[in-house]
Amino acid sequence: MTANYTLIDGSKLIVESLVQSGVESFVSYPITPANWINQYASQRFPTMAFAPDEITVAQWIAGLSSAGKLSATATSFPGLALMVESLNMSFMMELPMIIVVVQRLGPSTGSATVGAQGDLLLLNSLISGGYNIPVFSISNITDCWKVTEKAVHAAVELRTPVVLLTSKEMVMTSRSIDLALLPELKKAQYDYYKDSKPYVPYAANDKLVPPFLPLTSNEHQVRINSSTHDDSGTIKKATKAALGNTIRLHNKIQRRMNEFLIYEHDEDKDKNILIVSYDITGESTREAVKQLRNSGLNVSALYLKTIIPFPKELMTIINAYENVIYAEENLTGLLVKMIYGNNPPNNVSKVNRIGAMISPLEIIKETERCLQAC
Amino acid sequence: MSSSMLIDKNSPYCPGCGHQSITLGLAKALELLNYDPLDVIVASDIGCCGLIDPMLACHTIHGLHGRACALAAGISIAIDNPKKKVIAIQGDGGATIGIAHLLEAARRNFNLTLIVNNNQIYGMTGGQFSGLSNETFQNDHGLVDAARPFDIVEIAHKAGANYSSRIIAKGDIAEKLKAALSTKGFSLIEILEVCPSYGIQKYSDIEQLGYLEKSFVNAFNPFTLQATSQKPFVTREHSSEAAQFKHKLEKNIKIILAGSAGEGIQSAAELFAKAAMYSGLHVTKKGDYPITVGTGFSVSELIFSPEEIYYTGINEPDIVLVISQNGFDYVKNRIGEKTSIVVDNAVRHDQTNIALSYDLKAIFGKKNAAICSIGLWILMNEPFPFAAFERAVKESKHGEKLSVVLDKTQTIFDELKLHA
Repeated sequence: MTANYTLIDGSKLIVESLVQSGVESFVSYPITPANWINQYASQRFPTMAFAPDEITVAQWIAGLSSAGKLSATATSFPGLALMVESLNMSFMMELPMIIVVVQRLGPSTGSATVGAQGDLLLLNSLISGGYNIPVFSISNITDCWKVTEKAVHAAVELRTPVVLLTSKEMVMTSRSIDLALLPELKKAQYDYYKDSKPYVPYAANDKLVPPFLPLTSNEHQVRINSSTHDDSGTIKKATKAALGNTIRLHNKIQRRMNEFLIYEHDEDKDKNILIVSYDITGESTREAVKQLRNSGLNVSALYLKTIIPFPKELMTIINAYENVIYAEENLTGLLVKMIYGNNPPNNVSKVNRIGAMISPLEIIKETERCLQAC
Repeated sequence: MSSSMLIDKNSPYCPGCGHQSITLGLAKALELLNYDPLDVIVASDIGCCGLIDPMLACHTIHGLHGRACALAAGISIAIDNPKKKVIAIQGDGGATIGIAHLLEAARRNFNLTLIVNNNQIYGMTGGQFSGLSNETFQNDHGLVDAARPFDIVEIAHKAGANYSSRIIAKGDIAEKLKAALSTKGFSLIEILEVCPSYGIQKYSDIEQLGYLEKSFVNAFNPFTLQATSQKPFVTREHSSEAAQFKHKLEKNIKIILAGSAGEGIQSAAELFAKAAMYSGLHVTKKGDYPITVGTGFSVSELIFSPEEIYYTGINEPDIVLVISQNGFDYVKNRIGEKTSIVVDNAVRHDQTNIALSYDLKAIFGKKNAAICSIGLWILMNEPFPFAAFERAVKESKHGEKLSVVLDKTQTIFDELKLHA
């Protein structure tokens, strides 16, 4: 077969996938290493705005989204930190939007041009009260295309902000890929309110999500609210109906995220060792698995893509293995902590580092150590 | 007065609160301007002023403290329809914490009206001062904040707002609101009132603080969206470049091109990568340079492989092409025993595994030395035909000029071979 490659970086694929999946507007504020996404977005989106800070970004995308122009932005931890209150607002308002979080080395301003996987626990606890906004993670270059589409669909169908989690080395590295092999993308479809009866903005259907109308509706009054509200969309103290609405926000994510479950389980013949990874460490894991198998070892791998809320189905897969190795580019193992708390079981081991991508060799060594130990 | 804008006249406000007369005045002004309620969108902050929602028949969106102006801005960016009216309502506290948002709205002249209900204090939290509290104002605890307040009306004007005014919440204010609401672009109206719970003991009338009504106009262009190219980055047509050359690699090679800012390192690396792709190789490429991109080292890391590449890191490179001292100093610690080096003669180093040391920059100039070093390395090692690199170079922005460099590179290589 003749090779047919285009040299393209992850940023460009993410931007193109956002547009082709139905995102209409983008708001940017510069931050390394999300700048390429912001730059490409400024050429590609029909509606593009440049905000003076990240709080403004988060408010503008909420405004755009509430007026029916599905919106996105890209940032890194320092910008995400500024957006937290506004993302809580959009979660409560039930506004779909996509926040691409390009991880870099922290804490604080850390090193802007060094990658990391440091934000998982922050994202898992982003919403006051322990509610989740969905988080999808990109584990290789084609995920920039496919996982982005899934994130957009989840945002629209569940009416929620969604985080697309990636890191510096994914969005700022160019790779040769055959674009013809990328699947066609589908635009996310809104469930619009079509009835002639008065619109009750937060009256949810059996799918736990209220049909949407933008603030530009010419047929019905629309009320959107960030404070505790009942289905009328007006502010209420903690009444039973209002609390019921808030609990629904939790339930819609927890019960329906299985519709947006994506992962890769690269299964070998026995259930001895499973290497679990997400985001940029997926690349090192793929290389490590290839080399381990070349040397005759049986290892399986799980690449997480739907990552928050952590899918029950994946726990079933993980628990079937005798030994599980978690590889992630941070100091303490955030994924392990997210899954098991502070006391992971004895059959769990970790490969961690900061300051550079985990190399395949580090994963290979830990796998060999595990195999010898058992 | 007709009441198409009001669906609930039950006021949530304390008796005597200025917010109530502002609500009534706003509803009346919109009616006088013949707005259909469904053409009006009101974004409000939390705080007393944000309790307006249930009274209104228009669309309402109730957000955070201090952000209603930014939220309304987002809505106005989305709407390209002069029939629609976007209004933000904040208190003096909200205008203080969100002052950057109103400056931005004024600067860009977003099509929206910001109403600032200035009752001198944070009401919901117990009567604290805001940045808009008068320096002589005494709250119910007898305290004064002696700092001068922001004159939000003048600030908005200086920032570019097409209309900004200060009015007193006394009597029927609908006519005064009409001017703000009819403005094309951004308008701000600060409405002075006294909080009946935390201010009224000291002041029966806001005018006791010496406020005078005033208004300013600008004639800047209202906000319009900038056109974007919207050209797709990925289409089926993009995939038409078939590999026309054959490579000779049996395993991957990891290459570092190391130079300085301004030496065309990143563009040269791109052409090198394309040449490999034209030869059917898988490629990864990443740049590494200081955050101050115009100075210091500039490095590009490339991996070429007959198989799919997963991990894109290079711990120990197979090849290092060194153009400058900066570049060498940055990568020298990664050079291993098996690393092969092409280096400019001007670079000081202690390496022994030199494949070629040559006057790259002296002969080709600093912009073209990288291209030349790549060319020489390809000619020496033939991982794929030199013609693949020629094609990539020809197709580039400065193709014609750079083709001359390649011709000269070929000549040098031939001479080197003769000498060898």
